[in-house]
Amino acid sequence: MPLQILLPMVVIGIAGIAVLLHMLGLSELARFDDEAAARHAWLREYPDTPPTRVILSHDRHAALVETDFGAGVVWPMGMDTTARTLRGAEIRRTKDGLLVDLPDFTAPRIRLRLNDEEADLWPTLMNRKDRP
Amino acid sequence: MTEELTYPDVVNFAVPFFIAAILAELVWIMIRRRGGRYETRDALTSLLMGAGNVASGIVLGFVAYGFFMLLWEITPLDLGTSLWVVLLCFVLDDLRYYWVHRFGHRIRWVWASHVNHHSSQHYNLTTALRQTWTGTFTFMMLVRAPLILMGFHPAMVLFCGGLNLIYQFWIHTEAIGRMPRWFEAVMNTPSHHRVHHGRNPRYLDANYAGVFIVWDKLFGTFVPEYEKEKVDYGLVHNIGTFNPLRVAFHEWVAIWRDATQPGLSLRDRLMYCVMPPGWSHDGSRTMSDGIKRRHLEAHPEDAGTPGFTDMAGRT
Repeated sequence: MPLQILLPMVVIGIAGIAVLLHMLGLSELARFDDEAAARHAWLREYPDTPPTRVILSHDRHAALVETDFGAGVVWPMGMDTTARTLRGAEIRRTKDGLLVDLPDFTAPRIRLRLNDEEADLWPTLMNRKDRP
Repeated sequence: MTEELTYPDVVNFAVPFFIAAILAELVWIMIRRRGGRYETRDALTSLLMGAGNVASGIVLGFVAYGFFMLLWEITPLDLGTSLWVVLLCFVLDDLRYYWVHRFGHRIRWVWASHVNHHSSQHYNLTTALRQTWTGTFTFMMLVRAPLILMGFHPAMVLFCGGLNLIYQFWIHTEAIGRMPRWFEAVMNTPSHHRVHHGRNPRYLDANYAGVFIVWDKLFGTFVPEYEKEKVDYGLVHNIGTFNPLRVAFHEWVAIWRDATQPGLSLRDRLMYCVMPPGWSHDGSRTMSDGIKRRHLEAHPEDAGTPGFTDMAGRT
């Protein structure tokens, strides 16, 4: 197929599907119903490191997880979630929460939307125990 | 000897069909409220990976094609271009696909290329298009060499490979439950391929087939979809980015970081490249068989069920 036809078809096709999905409301982020849901999401990624404490963010889009090996975070990947421990993390305050930079090519930056109280408290909890 | 032989570039011609089928699946899911899930950024990433795959084929395709034409110059055999030869080529190329795919899960160097296809936590028709950008660097073109040397023209082999890829598109869906029994017995189906995309311990390293599921049954890697356990899609350790560049290259970066650690022997550096995903020089990570074993330790009642049938009593 000539590139003059293939290229516009691919570009329009991709853009069209993305716009359609967004307009159908399929861009919403995962939200944890409760702490058990966040715990489950953590255990999906770290089945051998059970949480000792789970703290949901005010909007329930993220959770801070404490374990015997240090802290971690669960956050949305679109409608789904993923999790990371905070080994080597650099944590910065932003105007709407925290920015967590990780030395991890697959999850280099976690943007956490937190209220002021959480944004003040979470860095302390993230650093409290020895990180795994 | 057949010198000039051309077949249509079927994958590119299938692009309109891909787009139409994605829209049809989306409409089905929205109307029926079941049969799969779509999410904007996930789908966009998958589609961009597909576009990148086509682009990398245009840029790097000459490497494999040049290699195949070199083999075609060498071989004294020419099976011609009859329909029966094309059909035989299709079946043998599917056997080739089975082994390349199996290597893609069991050799980390090849997994680095293939991992992106499994990096979505969704399973819909866009997932089918989440294809590699780095396939050329796995050197898996070598596995096609016997076909060319046996006398199948390179253009025919690539044509059959394209048809194989198109077949695999429609099986990336949750909208179809099970096909008729005779079809499930012989062909790769949505049910069989859902298993392949599962990150559940029972579903790891199973169902490598492209078109004919009989290869898995023949080589002992077949696992049926177990109605008591829904497939959990994605990677054992899911990625935290939708950036296509990170999706495409993350495992290559991981291999580099592992293999260049200070203090390793040359053997260990090599092992990080060729051993299955999860291998580590100090045993600090877990490969798929270890994940299965650990699951059975926690759930001994699963021994003997699909995915654990050959592990009974090994806990």
